[in-house]
Amino acid sequence: MSEVELVLFLEASVRLGVPLALAAMGEAITERSGVINIGLEGSLIAGALGGALGALAFGGAGMGVLMGALAGLAVALVFAGFAVGLGTDQIITGTAITLGGLGMTGAIYQARFGVTGTALTLPTLAPVPMPVLADVPWLGSALFAQAPTAYLAYALAPALWYFLFRTAWGLELRAVGEHPDAAQAAGVRVRWVRFWATAFGGALAGVAGAHLALAHAGTFAENMSAGRGFIAIAVVVLGRWNPPLVLLAALFFGAASAFQFFLQALGLDLPYQLFLALPYLLTLAALAGWVGRSRAPAALAQAWPNAG
Amino acid sequence: MRWRERAAPVGVGAAAVAAAILLSGVLLGLGGYAPLDAGRALLGGAFGSADAFFSITLVRSVPLLLTGLAVALAFRAGVWNIGAEGQLYAGAIAGVWVGLLGAGLPAWVLGPSVLVAAALGGAVWALVPALMRLRLGVGEVITTILMNFLGIHLAAFLVHGPLQEARGVFPQTDQIDPAARLPVLLSGTRLHVGFIVALLLAVGLSLFLRRTRLGFHVRAVGASRDAASVAGRIDARRVTLVAFLGSGALAGLAGGVEVAGVTYALYEGLSPGWGYTAIAVALLARLEPMAVLATGVLFGALESGAGAMQRDAAIPAVWVIAIQALIILAVLALDQLRRRGVGGAASV
Amino acid sequence: MERTPSAGLARSEHGQPSVRLAGVTRRFGPVVALAGADLVLHAGEVHALLGENGAGKSTLLGILGGMLRPDAGTVEIGGAPVVLRSPRDARSRGVGLVHQHFALVPALSVVENLALGQRSGRGGWALPHERVRAEAIAMIRRTGLEVPLDATIEELGVGERQRVEILKALLRDPPILALDEPTAVLTPREVDALFDLLRELVRGGRAVLLVAHKIDEVLRVADRVTVLRQGRTTLSAPRAEIDAPTLIRAMVGRDIQDAAAVGWGSERGARGGAVGEPVASLDKVRVREASGRLRLDDVSLTVCRGEIVGVAGVEGNGQRELALLLAGRIAADEGIVRVPARSGFVPQDRTREGLIADFDLVENVALALHDDARFRRGMLLRWAEIEQRAEEVRARFGVRAPDVRTRAGALSGGNQQRLVVGRELAGSPELVVAENPTRGLDFAATAFVHEELVRLARAEARSAIVLVSTDLDEVLALSDRVLVMTRGSLVPVDEAHRTREGVGALMLGGRDAVA
Repeated sequence: MSEVELVLFLEASVRLGVPLALAAMGEAITERSGVINIGLEGSLIAGALGGALGALAFGGAGMGVLMGALAGLAVALVFAGFAVGLGTDQIITGTAITLGGLGMTGAIYQARFGVTGTALTLPTLAPVPMPVLADVPWLGSALFAQAPTAYLAYALAPALWYFLFRTAWGLELRAVGEHPDAAQAAGVRVRWVRFWATAFGGALAGVAGAHLALAHAGTFAENMSAGRGFIAIAVVVLGRWNPPLVLLAALFFGAASAFQFFLQALGLDLPYQLFLALPYLLTLAALAGWVGRSRAPAALAQAWPNAG
Repeated sequence: MRWRERAAPVGVGAAAVAAAILLSGVLLGLGGYAPLDAGRALLGGAFGSADAFFSITLVRSVPLLLTGLAVALAFRAGVWNIGAEGQLYAGAIAGVWVGLLGAGLPAWVLGPSVLVAAALGGAVWALVPALMRLRLGVGEVITTILMNFLGIHLAAFLVHGPLQEARGVFPQTDQIDPAARLPVLLSGTRLHVGFIVALLLAVGLSLFLRRTRLGFHVRAVGASRDAASVAGRIDARRVTLVAFLGSGALAGLAGGVEVAGVTYALYEGLSPGWGYTAIAVALLARLEPMAVLATGVLFGALESGAGAMQRDAAIPAVWVIAIQALIILAVLALDQLRRRGVGGAASV
Repeated sequence: MERTPSAGLARSEHGQPSVRLAGVTRRFGPVVALAGADLVLHAGEVHALLGENGAGKSTLLGILGGMLRPDAGTVEIGGAPVVLRSPRDARSRGVGLVHQHFALVPALSVVENLALGQRSGRGGWALPHERVRAEAIAMIRRTGLEVPLDATIEELGVGERQRVEILKALLRDPPILALDEPTAVLTPREVDALFDLLRELVRGGRAVLLVAHKIDEVLRVADRVTVLRQGRTTLSAPRAEIDAPTLIRAMVGRDIQDAAAVGWGSERGARGGAVGEPVASLDKVRVREASGRLRLDDVSLTVCRGEIVGVAGVEGNGQRELALLLAGRIAADEGIVRVPARSGFVPQDRTREGLIADFDLVENVALALHDDARFRRGMLLRWAEIEQRAEEVRARFGVRAPDVRTRAGALSGGNQQRLVVGRELAGSPELVVAENPTRGLDFAATAFVHEELVRLARAEARSAIVLVSTDLDEVLALSDRVLVMTRGSLVPVDEAHRTREGVGALMLGGRDAVA
């Protein structure tokens, strides 16, 4: 692989990894509070549509990202209303939210733009090269000539780590995820914390979705999330619910996905569907190889308060 | 006391459907559509004529009945099988393959062979997440979802490549041998024997759960893994595996039945998300196999009506998926409210 | 830091009581937990709140601690009426609560648990760990409550965890300290240490409320006693004016036979007749947990027909593994295990392991019968026969339920335990392993379970009973032979040691095993 190809590969890795990183870091916070949000995919696709519509309505990709975040947040709040507020089963509720999200975004899209789906052109979220840093050989342009959402991801990793492990709020969040009864006895408002954590995760997933539409594909298509929300949940496990590790795991995934371009460039005559399937195969392999060494928050997926 | 305990779930189910429909109507109204027109178009499309009912609604129900049973069995055992979609495709692939390969064999051999192959295909597809859970402790929710994507892509690959029709024009397989196809049940309609297969399996699953030892084990493990292993001395891992594979087999069978009874070939997009709708079907039926017969037809009606809704009321058919999601949420919420309303006595 | 009012305020100048609860009523649905209970706490005294399980002690404590609101009645603290809306509220008014089931987060360290819910000068942005650590060290020095500040809770033994729980409550310097049945999980030595600490605390001017259901403990440490029965106060008197029979009568309303239940006079129990042939044996058995650590270390035991073998010991020493092993639920990693194919097992966690709440009585009974050839026909279960057995169990063991199709989850705790015990004992199995079978039960249910176990051993069936219990009185009263489980080893108890103190001595290393 020539140097040019390597740099392109690295750039693609980061570009593909960023939406995963954002969604996964958000979900990591959510799961640290004891809530598993299978509806993350719903937030993601809502963010993509929200980003697309927002960018078109306000004429700029920046507003699109904001709209995307709000859309993702809204979906997550519906999920939280059921799973945290009412205490319904988190897994099934999340699945329903994802279905609902995919269905509604499809319906809204078709209603606005017709069923035939001529591709939408959107204002794009252009890469913003960072001065000096972007000139570093090899890694510079890969890491620092990306869309602003990438920089958000880089900033969030240490920030969220600090929040979790160096602030009182983070301690309370972790306590809620490990043993909500004990947290309540200590005066922590368990449901409030879970609500916030879920909303935050949804907002980040919305940003990830907006990134997909505005920075990655440049358009919106039905079901364009393609399971990234689920992969993000797996990335959280691989990153041991620790934001910097989650970021790394997501970038690693991005690299694996970018690998397909490399393979294509090699001219290997591999079926197109294999490339499409690669991320999922990879996720399965990673889960098989890595789980068991990390421990989930003890109260994950448990409704609180417990019934009787 | 007993009939009230039994009747309550039905009440919840009906209330959930009503609530979901009401909410859908409101949302449609907000979106600028005419909900009543939509409803009328939907009902007309589903039940408007004998042809609509038998050839479309019931036919579209068959895969939902089978995948609904698959999900009901899994959830009953405490297995979160969200992978019925992928298992369906795996079954369809296996079924089509046998159907093509076995050209020349008599119908009484080839027909059942296709179905058996489909069931095996689905079970094999479920084996991967099952083993990952049992051997490696990896939760099956994400793994079964991932296998869905893989199943879809595998089918796509096959119909573009190795299994593509001899002409090489469209991404689909050749039609399977006529001997492999399921006979029509009601002449003049498209309703095929697969419907009877689904009926029999519903009855069979119900009897299995209520009367057999293994069925009891499945219910116990699903209700409380701890109590089942400690008080019941049940091998929870074995039961989980059986339920997982059984669920996969049923979902695979759904794929095989669709191929052998309706399409006679495999192509991309065979399933419009039946594996996911099945979750709504199973939940609304409160995981009772006999009730799945009713909810499966209900959702079949929803789906067949959706096309008419799009044609006549200009509402995108994909909106039906949102309705399904609303039904699931409504069932969950009403269930939870009912449980809370009972009010527990604290330990004194 | 929410500094609570100092102890001086509680002992107000007018000699007012620290706490007065009057006419407190509280219902949970149809169940009346408290029906006009009264309690008066003074500073400088250890006050015991006594009552059998189900009498209302935990509910009253819940109200004092701000977790529950009374339906009627008044709560006064320091002479002033208050409405406690939350645990935080109660804490700010000077009530420190030590829970029975520790409110500690296992994955976090001791310091983190102590710091949970607190704030430093910079609000939620920073961790208050340094200040908390300093305060903790100071309190440890004052009270002698040794705890390793940087260990995670999961690494600590049960006794240590309780010390953390107490420390946590003391850090806020509450003038009122309430402890919910703290002695249940402690070795006799640890109980002594705890009582010494309580005396020390009241010397400093605090009021201490000790919730208990064992009489001998109450007689040892209390200055005043209040007795609850069925939600009402039946007695409130200073120590000098009461004795065991008075307390028993106040608790139960009559004289009772089963003294072990009330924790008074651990009689040796009438020994059974001749002991028959061996029914189960363990020979140099070892059981390890996933990490490789030994839970059972070279354990050997033989259990014979007609005898009741009692295994004493506090939680975490390997009793769980011993019970599961004898009952055939787990296998050993080393050693020879000979146990009958079918045995009865009464697990300590009846709601999680003994019963399936959503199943009815018949299906719950089926859990014990589905392997039995008499109740199956090939692949099918003989539901008619199973239902018949369920009816028998319901009648013979007094399970109060409308019919056998009632959901097990709808039964009261006592009736659930009757169901479990009945189901396991009904077939008169060769061996019955009972793990804390009377935990959380009231005296009547406790006495009933004891009777049934004894009857099963002495009757014609002459089953072998292994009673594994953290309740020392129960073990000493019922068993023919007593052993102590300590750190994975089984130590026989000879006649000389067959007392609370004697067994306590045998529980040494003196320190807790890891839970």
